Amino acid sequence: MSRGLLRDLRDVAVAVLHPPDADGGVILDQLNRIGCRTEAAWPPPRSLQTAPDLAVVGVDRDAHAAVMRLLRKSAQPTPGVIAVVDYENPAMLQLVLELEALAVISKPVRSFGILTNLVIARSQRVKAEEQAARIRRLEARIAGFRSVDKAKKILMDAQGIDEQDAYRTMRAQAMAKRISLEEMALAIINAHSLLSSRIDDA
Amino acid sequence: MRPTDSPIRLGALFSDSGLTAVVERTQRQAVTMAVEEINAAGGLLGREAVIEAGNSLSDPARARAEAERLLASGVETIFGCYMSSTRRAVLPVVEQRRGLLFYPTLYEGFEYSSHCIYSGAAPNQNSVWLADHMLRRYGTRFYLVGSNYVFPYESNRIMRDYVQSCGGVVVEERYLPLHPSDEDIARVIGDIRRHAPVMVFSTTVGDATTAFYRAYDRAGFDRSTMPIGSLTTGEPELAAMGGDAAEGHLTAAPYFSTIGSPRNARFVAAFRARWGEDAPISANTEAAYFQVHLYAEAVARAGATDVASVRANLPGCAYDAPQGPVRIDGRTHHTVLWPRVGVATARGEFAIVEEAAAAVAPDPYMIDPEPRAWGARALAI
Repeated sequence: MSRGLLRDLRDVAVAVLHPPDADGGVILDQLNRIGCRTEAAWPPPRSLQTAPDLAVVGVDRDAHAAVMRLLRKSAQPTPGVIAVVDYENPAMLQLVLELEALAVISKPVRSFGILTNLVIARSQRVKAEEQAARIRRLEARIAGFRSVDKAKKILMDAQGIDEQDAYRTMRAQAMAKRISLEEMALAIINAHSLLSSRIDDA
Repeated sequence: MRPTDSPIRLGALFSDSGLTAVVERTQRQAVTMAVEEINAAGGLLGREAVIEAGNSLSDPARARAEAERLLASGVETIFGCYMSSTRRAVLPVVEQRRGLLFYPTLYEGFEYSSHCIYSGAAPNQNSVWLADHMLRRYGTRFYLVGSNYVFPYESNRIMRDYVQSCGGVVVEERYLPLHPSDEDIARVIGDIRRHAPVMVFSTTVGDATTAFYRAYDRAGFDRSTMPIGSLTTGEPELAAMGGDAAEGHLTAAPYFSTIGSPRNARFVAAFRARWGEDAPISANTEAAYFQVHLYAEAVARAGATDVASVRANLPGCAYDAPQGPVRIDGRTHHTVLWPRVGVATARGEFAIVEEAAAAVAPDPYMIDPEPRAWGARALAI
């Protein structure tokens, strides 16, 4: 994985949300030297032209709210943030935490170190994405288990069969209809709630 | 020249002794000759240029101390450094004191400093050319051996990735101490014999190269099928090891002393008249030479010699170098160069077997070289 992450660094889209001063110039020049696709904008616009993988953000109290708004709506998942800071006081660190920065560059910015921060931030973002996808899959599976359990109980009560037979029945039905076991379970639950509802329930 | 003006003092920081003196001596000679040419043509803005010498002894700590000494004495611009470890030691001092370093040596890339001009080849201007040539002409199995420091690590990383992406195989990757013993070298030779047939890609430097090639010669490997390809084996190294040990081995570089142009003939004649009939001239020598002329061009454009003015005028500076017209790329501070591949002859020179059809822009941040993404002109051997 690590080699792949290095290899396609040139396909990475980076938004540079930093004032166009000397530090901003060093950042933009170095990103272009590395060969990334860049989009620079300051003050933070309402929207970006590209959907960036990463955003290099000059941490700035006045622009903070606008940056946060921009990041939230720019792409899904939100771009990985590399924060550029000039102070290390708690007020500044609070903004860095709110940005959920994956890497930090300190001012005055030097060319050296930008590549490393870029690689780290990108690797963290890819990992976070993979974990989020895994969590979504697991949550869906757990929800599925719950539905299957509930549907089994409905079948057991309705047909007077044991748990194993209820499961076999559901699986046979799911296969015959070419749907997943979870979908079959949801169909049973929905049908049951419809059949057992009475007018005065509504 | 107006004798009333004080001379402009330029630093030349090379190793007169130590591991890599064999090539660095030629770089010092090249800088000296270029400065003499500039003075003969009227100097820098009418002022005489004089060289303040620093001696690195192939030792990074010593190089740093020498750079400190030169800069503290009022020198602003330094030409010098060979090994990456030495450049890395010198550059922070140069940046801190707002000086300017001209680095005349091929290296592994992944660097930019607003206070440095890199006039040697970046990997896209030599490594991929050498790898491609060896893959097409000799085979697909590679054995990587290098001196134990940063240039060989990254050079081998590029080589391995490139060879594998072209369907080749790297059978082994070995590192020798900077000063290897005979036993260290014998072990690697034995290992190569076990893996034969295999081509060797060597990134040993300086005296280690001489010892390694001689041992390879004694081992009797057939160089028509098992040549050593190396970026760090130029004419000075060939001269040191002798033609018998050198013949048939390969390198890629922007410059060879055998280039057939009138411009190069003038350069070679002048160099040999100044430094002796047998004086070896490598790509690093030539880079040391033309970068002084690039500096002079920037001074002429700036109309001043202070570092800030010179730096502002460096991008785009061009010079008709012995290898062909070269130019400083303002974006990367590296140089647009002419890649070539050469095979060593028994005379201790390189016969050019392939050369770029056009100058190639530097790509110091190349991570993943694309196979054959360039135009080359193969020459009959």
